Amino acid sequence: MTQAVAANSKEKQLKSAQTMKLVRALLPIIGLVLMVILFNFLTNGRMLRHLPLAMSQVYVIMIASMGVFFIMTVGGLDFSQGSILGLSCIVVCYVSNYSIPLAIIAGIATGAAIGAVNGFFYVNRKIKSFIVTICTMFLFRGLIKYLTTNSPVAGSAELIMLDSTTFKVVCTAVVVVIGYICFTFTRFGTDLKAIGAGEKAAMFAGIRTDRMKFFIYVLAGAITGFAAFISAIKIGSVTSSGGSMLETQILIALVLGGMPISGGAMVRFENCVVGSLLYVVLTSGLTMIGFTPQLMQLIQGIVFLIFVAVFADRESLTVIK
Amino acid sequence: MSEGLQVRNISKTFGITKALKDVSFDIQPGTVHALIGENGSGKSTLTNMLTGIYTMESGKFILDGKEIHPKNQVDANNQGISIIVQELGTLSGLTVAENIFLGHEEQFMHFKFYRDTRAMNAEANRLLRLYGFDRIKAEHLVDDYNFEDRKLIEIVKATYFKPRIVVIDETTTALSQEGREELYKHMARIRREGNMVIFISHDLSEVLDKSDNITVLRDGTYIDTVKAKDVNEDDLKKLMVGREMTGNYYRADYGEKVSEEVTLSVRHVSVPGIIHDVSFDLHRGEILGFGGLSESGMHEIGKAIFGASYDRTGEVELEDGTHINDIPTAISHSIAYTSKDRDNESVVMNQSIRDNIALPSLNKLTVGKTKFLSWARIKAFAARYAKEMSVKMQGTHQFVSELSGGNKQKVVLARWIGKGSDIVVLDSPTRGIDIKVKQDIYQLMDQMRKDGKSIIMISEELMELIGMCDRIIIMKDGALNGEVPRSKDLDENKLIQMMV
Repeated sequence: MTQAVAANSKEKQLKSAQTMKLVRALLPIIGLVLMVILFNFLTNGRMLRHLPLAMSQVYVIMIASMGVFFIMTVGGLDFSQGSILGLSCIVVCYVSNYSIPLAIIAGIATGAAIGAVNGFFYVNRKIKSFIVTICTMFLFRGLIKYLTTNSPVAGSAELIMLDSTTFKVVCTAVVVVIGYICFTFTRFGTDLKAIGAGEKAAMFAGIRTDRMKFFIYVLAGAITGFAAFISAIKIGSVTSSGGSMLETQILIALVLGGMPISGGAMVRFENCVVGSLLYVVLTSGLTMIGFTPQLMQLIQGIVFLIFVAVFADRESLTVIK
Repeated sequence: MSEGLQVRNISKTFGITKALKDVSFDIQPGTVHALIGENGSGKSTLTNMLTGIYTMESGKFILDGKEIHPKNQVDANNQGISIIVQELGTLSGLTVAENIFLGHEEQFMHFKFYRDTRAMNAEANRLLRLYGFDRIKAEHLVDDYNFEDRKLIEIVKATYFKPRIVVIDETTTALSQEGREELYKHMARIRREGNMVIFISHDLSEVLDKSDNITVLRDGTYIDTVKAKDVNEDDLKKLMVGREMTGNYYRADYGEKVSEEVTLSVRHVSVPGIIHDVSFDLHRGEILGFGGLSESGMHEIGKAIFGASYDRTGEVELEDGTHINDIPTAISHSIAYTSKDRDNESVVMNQSIRDNIALPSLNKLTVGKTKFLSWARIKAFAARYAKEMSVKMQGTHQFVSELSGGNKQKVVLARWIGKGSDIVVLDSPTRGIDIKVKQDIYQLMDQMRKDGKSIIMISEELMELIGMCDRIIIMKDGALNGEVPRSKDLDENKLIQMMV
């Protein structure tokens, strides 16, 4: 009798744990829908009518956040994304005067090179990832400022001609779909999650953890290098502040998307897609209502803090590398 | 008023799990009182409440006629209770003296803010000398000392103030023979001084040898308290499991001939500072045991074979001529390894049972010949091998961190059985695991041997080496120090002589 009761309550507990998991997985999506409805209501439908404008920020953030998503899955962090974007943008603009395809490749290569610097210090020199990437953020921001001292670096006219919503949507979709397939249906995602959940054990299960960690920093850099191309066709030139704050925007987007800060097995690919949409809806919605940029940063900070406080998985927080 | 400790109607629940149900028994002054039971029977829960690590729920602890309610460990110390835990209980970054007097610094404080470090070190050094641990110096950081010495520091920390009760929670499994002898000496001293030891251990022969009374718990309920001199190991097993143990514990055969075929040969393997010029062969269908003190380098042998040692020299060669130098090569050539450090190196804790079992086999669990994973096949694969190993779980989606030690080990074994490994290196496979699962593991090893797989078993428990192995190699100071074939008349003493 008592055993039956115990089994019953155990089942109940299991069920409630599963419900909780489901809620956690669905909350960002529900939040996104509610946010869209709310802002449309507040702006009398202006947001939907001007959707391309409202969404103009999302392409760069979504592409770049995918790279950071991979990094955070293994339990690392990357604060250098803004500087990677800025520097890659400069390279893209510069090379676009010769050839557009070459400009894309050069942008990706620049990003990958900076990613390799991050990866080298993180993996080979065993320095914590946030320290390494804060250093490179600073270092390459300095380089960007130096390169743009006299005037902004302008891209060729051809570059700006490419700027169309269709083109940007297609580019973003292609990158995201490739990322999704690799992460969900190949070893790649499983290995990353295993490293995030327990690096040593993952190594003893046959994963080349160091090689993998280095590779994803290079990959994240390369992805942001591609995002730099999208950013360049939109703006057409780079100033000294090109790409600044991108790292924070990505971090907020991922956390809004329900990404566990310490990575690991609970990570889902939707986190980066839903998160960046949510972030952009939030910021452009607030702008349309009439908040000043200064006030918006304050609101973003508060929202970020609340999400982290509510959703942080405290038990595994200590494993951020 | 009665002397000693009375445990009265103690209950404790975690969420919906009743960890302890109305447990009552007495501990007499001047005794070593053992607490035994399978994993999850509530031993540690009980002692953790006594030492203030968990809060009390209902029931009473009465020490020398006075009810006690320790609020935390320091408070427990002040009420005369201390504990030595299974894993590391010293804090890195502090000196030996700071660790010994942690939470009790006020005796060295002047004007409440100035700590007289010199007096503290002097006092700590005096205690260390008194205990006979002269090689440990109070001024040094604990980080300068190995696991074994840090345990000795803990012994000083837990007993220098002559507490009424010292809890020793599965400490011996982590210690080598030498360290155990040290610990036994101090248990005997505490008993002589009229104080009490609560001794938790899975090693029943040790329990019978070292304690006066034994209390058995099963599933959080009190079963019985017996006098050690009235019972034997089988009686205790029966009390713990609640039924007769059926079948053989270890393997039963003697004198079977082992194949001459060499599946793995190790040649002149060295790891700087740990093992030195080790060579041996492993045969098909053989269980080869490695024994020694925990610092003898035997644990590194397993890592060296698996390609996991840093800076290894020498050769590890398979029968087909493949050289093993890194983990992925080892795994793809059918070598399996389970680490002594199960939680960090064997299982990925914060991940599902499914992913843990499938991880090394993912390359073959794909859709056709593509690189795309087949989640249906992965699920079926994990479910099949988890079932084969009878892992106690709610489903393969459950996280490994929620499982008991024995079940974690089963998950690891399921992973390698699923991979179909032919050479299996098991480092301390039954460490901290209860009897029932131990028996399962021994039977599994016997079956694998019969199936023609080769097993290397590294263990600090000499009895299981004697009971399971075709051949036992004893290591000392990083080198091989003798080899003994399987025999009925082999006893522990012969092996210990080679170890020290």
